[in-house]
Parts: sequence; structure tokens; C-alpha cells
Amino acid sequence: MELEELKSLWKSSDPDFQQKDEVEIASMLKRRSLSIVDTLKRSAWFELSITLILSIGLLVYAFYLPAGGLKWTSISILLMCQVYTFYYVKKLVLLNRFNPAQENVQANLISLVDRLSSYLKFYQRSYTILYPVYFVLGLLFGGLERGADEFFENLVRPRTIVLLILIGSLFYFISTRFTDWYLQKLYGNHLQKLKGLLNDIQG
Amino acid sequence: MEVEEEKKFISLINDHQGLIHKVCFMYENDPEVRNDLFQEIVFQLWKSFSSFRGEAKITTWMYRIALNTAISGFRKQSRNVKTEDLKEMHFNISDSWSDNREEDIQRLQGAIRQLSEIERAMIMMALEEVPYEEIAETIGITQNNVRVRMNRIREKLKKIMCN
Repeated sequence: MELEELKSLWKSSDPDFQQKDEVEIASMLKRRSLSIVDTLKRSAWFELSITLILSIGLLVYAFYLPAGGLKWTSISILLMCQVYTFYYVKKLVLLNRFNPAQENVQANLISLVDRLSSYLKFYQRSYTILYPVYFVLGLLFGGLERGADEFFENLVRPRTIVLLILIGSLFYFISTRFTDWYLQKLYGNHLQKLKGLLNDIQG
Repeated sequence: MEVEEEKKFISLINDHQGLIHKVCFMYENDPEVRNDLFQEIVFQLWKSFSSFRGEAKITTWMYRIALNTAISGFRKQSRNVKTEDLKEMHFNISDSWSDNREEDIQRLQGAIRQLSEIERAMIMMALEEVPYEEIAETIGITQNNVRVRMNRIREKLKKIMCN
């Protein structure tokens, strides 16, 4: 079977394509992209907008609060929001470095694998830091709510320390495992597929 | 200016939509997903249209973006369709080699779909008479590599179609 034979067979095949008219094509230019990078960008923009709205709301709220526990709680959350703002901006910067699909297939795959890997690494590093922060903040707010003196008195007891280490480790283990699984499900499989394609080209 | 650009682009897509349809046909079996892929390719072409300076042939540029979108940039919604369809296709093409041209065409299409995604891109361009130089440029490998791989692909197709 020669290539010419296949070409002649291919040319005689005429799959039933539904021709698109100009109106249909014009409407395609205004739709939302389904590409992985654009989807990630959209969700990062959404998260950033929510964080900024929440920050402004909290700032106004904290400004009118009298000095006390609630004011400091609001300010702490506001500080967390600033960390998140930086985090989402950094995510967007990473995503914007993706080149559009203009390069050749191999160069595009190398670039995608590289960028998506950095994005996932950044994501993983961020939650490795943020989860313990959540835990400590949650513990602090919960404890202070019941009274600061009682909270600090309990905190220095060996039994409480052991219990906190156990709960903290369990919380950290479950939350990181869950996030790893979630990331793998969302982007990891796609990344594996891209690596496989790259191996295929380079092999 | 933008309106002129848009008109020019729509006319270009209109003239070359067969190329996009063929790429979609090669990579997706489900008509709905295929339609989504078609739209995504058109969208990606439009995004890059302003930066196209005519250094490459228009079809080379279109193949490059269409294949990049189909192979690596597109995440389809329904993921199980392809595997099931391939199983069915494999079953269909395992029958004996026939004298019927229509059946042979279906076997060829089914056999191509069993190749890897990169191999599918290469054989599709070769069957469309795209010169090896342009295939090499689109995929990002040497012309020599294209020649070697085309021989391997031909052997693979022969094996699949005659089994």
C-alpha cells in the first residue's frame, strides 16, 4: 500500500461536513474560548475580583468598627485578602506568559508543558503555606472568642499541645491530599497528555 | 479598520473551512464536540490573525493553529466518547479487506483515528498533498524525520487496515 494509493482513497472520501455560513463564522469570533489557558485565566480573574470586592467591603467595615477583637479579626482577614490578591496576580502573570498557538506543534507543546508545570508548582507551594496559616488563624479566632486568658492557659498544657499537633497534622494531610487530587483531576491529566504528546514527537 | 479585518478573516475562513473541518473530523468523533472544536479553532485563528504577516503560506499558518488547538489546547467536555468510538471502529476495520471503495474509505478513516495524535496530524497533511517541508515546519521536526516517520505511519496503517 503506497502513499499515493492512500491519497487517492482520501481524496475520494468526502465526509459530510456542515458548511458554516458567514453569519455563523462571525458569531464564533465573539464566543468564549474553551482553551485550557483561557479557562484558567477566567477563573483567576473571577477569584481576583471576588477578593478585591471582599477587601474593599472589609476595609470600609473595619474602618467604622470600634477598637477590639472584631476590628482585629477584620484586619487579619483583610491582610489574608492582600496575600490572596498577590497570589491571583502572580497566577495571572504566569498564565499570560503562555504563547498563543502560533508556534510549531513541538515548540507549542514544550511551552505549554513548561508553563502548566510552573503554574501547578506555584499552586501547590501556595497552599502548602496557606493551609497552616488557615489552621492557626482558625484556632486563634476560635480560642479568642471563648476568652483570651482561658485560651492561652489551655494552650501551654502538654495535652493540648499534643492534641493540636495531631489535629493540625491531620488537617494538613487531608487538605493537601484533597487539593493534590483536585489539581490532578483538573489539570494534571491534561499535563500528562501533553507530556505524552511531546515524547511522541521527540521519540 | 476592525470591521475590514473581520470581513477579510471571515472570507478567509469561508474559503478554507474544509481544512478546519478535516482537522476536527480527524480529532473528534462526537458531532457536538467536533463543532466546539471547530469554533475554538476559528476563535484561535482570529486571535492570531492580526499577527500573521504572510511569512508562511496561509494554509501552513492555519494548519499550525488548527493542529495546536486540536492536539494540545482544547479540553473537551465529554471525555468518554472517543474511546468508545475507537473500540467500535477497531471492531469494524478488523473485518477482511474488501473491494468496496466506500468501505475502504471508512477503513482508512478508522485506521487513521487509531494512530497517535501526532501521527494523525502528519498523515492528514501528507494526504492533503502538503509538502514534507511544510509538514516539518508545522510539527517542528526535520524533513528527514518526517520521511522516516511517514514510512512508519504507512506501515502502521497497512497493518491496521489489513488485519
